[in-house]
Amino acid sequence: MAGPAPGPTATPPGIGARLGRLGIMLFPALLLFLVAFGPLVTPFSATAFDPAATLRPPGPTYLLGTDEFGRDLFSRIVAGAQPTLLPALASTFIGILFGTATGLAAGFLGGRRDEVIMRAMDVLLSFPALILAMLIIATLGANMVTLVFAIGFVFWPRSARLIRSAAMELARHEFVDAARARGEGTAYIMFREILPNMWGIIVVDFTLRFASAVLLVASLSYLGIGVSPPTPAWGLLVKEGQPLLQLAPWVVIFPCIVIAVVSVGSVMFGEVIRRRLTLPDRRILA
Amino acid sequence: MTGAPGHNLRVEGLSIAYGSGPRTLHAVRDVSFTIARGEAYGLIGESGSGKTTVAFALLNYLRGGVIRGGTIEVAGEDVLAMAPAALRDFRGNRAAMVYQDPMSSLNPAIIVGEQIAEALRRHRGLDRRAAWERAVDLLALVDLPGPAALARRHPHQLSGGQQQRVVIALALSCEPDLLILDEPTTGLDTTTQAVVLDLIGELRQRVRASILFISHNLGVVAETCERIGVLYAGELVEEGPCATVVSRPGHPYTAGLLRSMPRADRAAALRPIPGSLPDLTRPPAGCIFADRCEVASAACREGRPGVRRLAGDHLARCLFPERVADLPAGDAGPLARAQGPAPDDAAASLPKLAIEGLGVTFRQRRGLPLIGRLEETRALDGVSLAVPRGQTLAVVGESGSGKSTLARSVVGLIAAERGGLRFEDKALAPRAAGREPDLLRRIQIIFQNPDGALNPQRRVLDIVGRPLRLYGRAPAAAIPARVEELLALVRLGARFAARFPHELSGGEKQRVNIARVLAADPELIVCDEPTSALDISVQAGVLNQLRELQAESGLTYLFISHDLAVVRTISDTVAVLYLGRVVETGPTATVFAGPHHPYTDSLLAALPEVGRPRRPAVAVPPLPGGTGRGCLFAPRCPQRIPGTCDRLVPPLAATGDGRLMACHVPLAGLAEAQRARDAGGRD
Repeated sequence: MAGPAPGPTATPPGIGARLGRLGIMLFPALLLFLVAFGPLVTPFSATAFDPAATLRPPGPTYLLGTDEFGRDLFSRIVAGAQPTLLPALASTFIGILFGTATGLAAGFLGGRRDEVIMRAMDVLLSFPALILAMLIIATLGANMVTLVFAIGFVFWPRSARLIRSAAMELARHEFVDAARARGEGTAYIMFREILPNMWGIIVVDFTLRFASAVLLVASLSYLGIGVSPPTPAWGLLVKEGQPLLQLAPWVVIFPCIVIAVVSVGSVMFGEVIRRRLTLPDRRILA
Repeated sequence: MTGAPGHNLRVEGLSIAYGSGPRTLHAVRDVSFTIARGEAYGLIGESGSGKTTVAFALLNYLRGGVIRGGTIEVAGEDVLAMAPAALRDFRGNRAAMVYQDPMSSLNPAIIVGEQIAEALRRHRGLDRRAAWERAVDLLALVDLPGPAALARRHPHQLSGGQQQRVVIALALSCEPDLLILDEPTTGLDTTTQAVVLDLIGELRQRVRASILFISHNLGVVAETCERIGVLYAGELVEEGPCATVVSRPGHPYTAGLLRSMPRADRAAALRPIPGSLPDLTRPPAGCIFADRCEVASAACREGRPGVRRLAGDHLARCLFPERVADLPAGDAGPLARAQGPAPDDAAASLPKLAIEGLGVTFRQRRGLPLIGRLEETRALDGVSLAVPRGQTLAVVGESGSGKSTLARSVVGLIAAERGGLRFEDKALAPRAAGREPDLLRRIQIIFQNPDGALNPQRRVLDIVGRPLRLYGRAPAAAIPARVEELLALVRLGARFAARFPHELSGGEKQRVNIARVLAADPELIVCDEPTSALDISVQAGVLNQLRELQAESGLTYLFISHDLAVVRTISDTVAVLYLGRVVETGPTATVFAGPHHPYTDSLLAALPEVGRPRRPAVAVPPLPGGTGRGCLFAPRCPQRIPGTCDRLVPPLAATGDGRLMACHVPLAGLAEAQRARDAGGRD
C-alpha cells in the first residue's frame, strides 16, 4: 500500500542540486581569482579613456557596454573586484575575530564581566552601521586601512552578541562542568571545549557579514569615503553611473547585479560549509 | 458513541519503516494488539523498542515513518484510511495523547483554563461560557485543588505534577475513544508520580476510553494496567495479564528486564541483559532476541517463532517459553567487598570525605540587572555527612532537595558559603579553581546525562586521554595504549577510541564517562544520578560495573539518586535530603527496614514496584514559602505535632539503632503510626 518512503533521506540529490552545490563551492575560488589577478585579465584598460567609444550599449566587443568616458564596464567590474572585496574580506575577518573573542569571553565568564562587556557593545550597537563607519573614517582619515578597521569595528558588537548567546548556551552543557571539575583553565575550556562547537555559527556569521561588508564598502565608496576615483570599486561604479541611469542604464545595473550576486553567493556558500562542518549528529546548537 | 462491541482499539500486523533502500530502518514489525473500552493496556519497552512510533501510528501521525502494512481501527473505523478532514477531527476529538513533558503540550503564554476551553469550543462547539465552565469541571475531575482559581493561572505557576494533570484534563476534554499516555510520569518526582498514577487509575473507571499506557518502567505499568505488552526491537514479544507477566514471564526478554530491575524492598544483585539491540536495518530471520538470549538454541535462529498461547490470554513469541522458568534467578552472587588497606596510618581511620555543615544559598536577581532585588533560595542548609573510605554513601531526595547541589559543591563547581569539605585530612577549597591539581585528580564526578558530559566534537580517544595528559598520568606516546586499557576496563573494545560520542549508545556513552573518570586514577567518585538517563537493562550493567570497580580498587562513592531501588542496591549508607536538610541518615539496611522518618516513609510508599502494592498517595501540598521556621516537612507530615513541628527545627539526633534522624516524633511513635497504617492498608 505504501510506495517508496518520502522524506529527506529517501531520494539522493538530483543532478541539478549537485551542480548547484558545485557552483556554490567554486564561487569563492572565482572571487579569489578576481581579487588576485583581476587587473591582469581585463580585455581593456579599466581606467584609460576612449573618446571614440563612449556610452556603447552591451555588445560583442564591449560585453557590458561602456561609460561616458569610453571605459569598458566589464573590465572595470573585473578590476573592481580587488578594491571592493579585499577591504570587505579584511574587515569581516577583523570584526569576526574581535566579536568571537569578546562574545566567547562574555558568554562564558558571565555575571558582572558579561554585563560590562555587553553594555559597552550595546553602546556601539546604538549607532547605525553606516554612520558609525563614516564617523570613524572622518576622524581617522579616509584611507584603505581606516576603511577596513571602521567596517570591522561596526561588525564587532554585532558578532559579539551572536557568539555570546551561543557561548552561554554551550557553557550550560555538562562537558563544560566536567572540564571545570577536572580543573581545566579558562582558556582551555573556552578555546578547546566551547569554540569547536561554534564553527558552524562562526562560518555563517562570517559569510553574512562578508555580504554586508561588500555592500558597506560599496555604500561608503558611493558616498565618496574610503576609495576614490578612478579606482573602479563597485560602489563607485554605481555612484558614477547614477546620473546616466536614464541614458545608459547598463552602467548602473551591471555593477548592482554583481554586488547582489556576490552577497547572495557568499551566504549560500556559508550554508554549504556549515553543513559540511557540523554533521547533524554532532551539532548541539540549532 | 454507540457501544462498539468487543474491542475499541484493534491493531493488526502493524509494520513501520523509516527511510528507504538499504538503510531502511524496520522500526516496528508485525505488531498486533487490542484494547477494550475502559481498559488500560501497558506497552513496555526500552529505548529503540518502537513504542513511541506505535503511539504516533495510532494517530496516523508518523513524521518520516511509513506504514508498510497492517490496520489500525478505533471504534470500528480505519484510522489509516481516513481523509485529511476526518483525520483532523479524529486527532482533535476522538484521540488524545499525553507526553512525558507537560510543558510541550501547554502554551506558556495562555492561562490553563483557556487552553482547555479553546479545545472545547473548537471541537465540541460550546460557547465561551459553557466551555469555561466545562474546563473548570475538568480541572476538578483531575483532582486539582481550587479549580476555578487554578484555571486562571499560567502553566509556569503550577508544579510539574499539576501541569501534567492539566494536560490530562485537556486530553479528556473531548471524551476521547483513545487516550495515549506516553511516559506520563517519567519526569515527575516519586511522590508526584504516585498522585498522577492514582489519578489515572481512578479515571479509568470514569472515562470510557481505551487507554494505552506507554512506559519503560514495569512497576508503573504493573499497577496501572490490566494487561501489558512487551515490545522489544519493534516486535511484541509477550502479552498477558499484568500479574501473570510480572510473576511468570513467558519470554526471556521480559524475564531479563525483571532481573535487571533494582528493588527497594530487598537488596538484590542485578543481572543485566548481555549484548545490545539488533541492527534493525537488517532484522534477523530468526527470533529477534536470540542473540541476547540465554536459553536460545539453533532452532531459534532459523525462523521467526510464532505466537504461543501459554495460558488464557497470556501470549509469548518464543519457541521455548518453558525454559524461561529455568533461567537463573536475579542473583549474580554477592560481590566481595574490598578489604582496603589495613588502617595502619592515621589517614585510613579518617573518612574519605567529610562534609561539615555545608550551606549553599542561590541568589537570583529579580527585575533590573545590577540593581534589582535579590531573591534567595537555600539549596543546602547545614548538611553534615561522612563517606567512609571504600564505601558508598547514597544521597536521596526529590528535585529541589539539594542533592545535585551537594554533588557539585564536593567537586567545586558550586562554592559553598558556609561549612566546609574535608578530603581525608585536607580541607578542600570551595571552588575547583582553588584546589591543587592532585586533589582535583583524586576527586572525580560522573554526570547524570551521559550525552551532555561528552563534547560532541571530540573523539573518545581525546576524551578519555585528556585526564592522562592534564594530570600527567602517562607520557604522550603512551596515551593511546592507556586509553585502550581504560576502555577495556569498562568493557568497550579498542575500536571505540576513534568514535565520536554520537556514534555511541547511551550505555556506551556512560561507560566512556566512567573510563574518563578512571583515567584520573581517582579515590573518590561523585556519581550524580549516573544511571537515571539509561534503560533498565543498561543501568544494571553500569551499576554492576561501579560495584566491581569498587571491589577491585577500593574506590569511595558519593552516589546521588532519586531512585530508592538503585540506592538500596548500591549503597552502604544512605542520607535522605529534604529541601536542603538531612532528615535521616544511617546504614542502608537499617534505613530501609524502618521505622522511617515520615518523609522517607512517603518516598517509599510512593514507589511503584512490581509485586508490591503501593499505598494510595497523599496529595503533595505546595512547598512552604520560605518561613524557614520549624521542620520543613511539617506541612506535608501526617505525624505532625501541632505547636512543636511548625516552631522548632528538629535536631539530627541518634535513634539508638545506628541512624540519625531529624524528627520530633520519637522512633517508637513513628513505628506505631507506620504499623497501624500498614495494617489499615491491608483491610
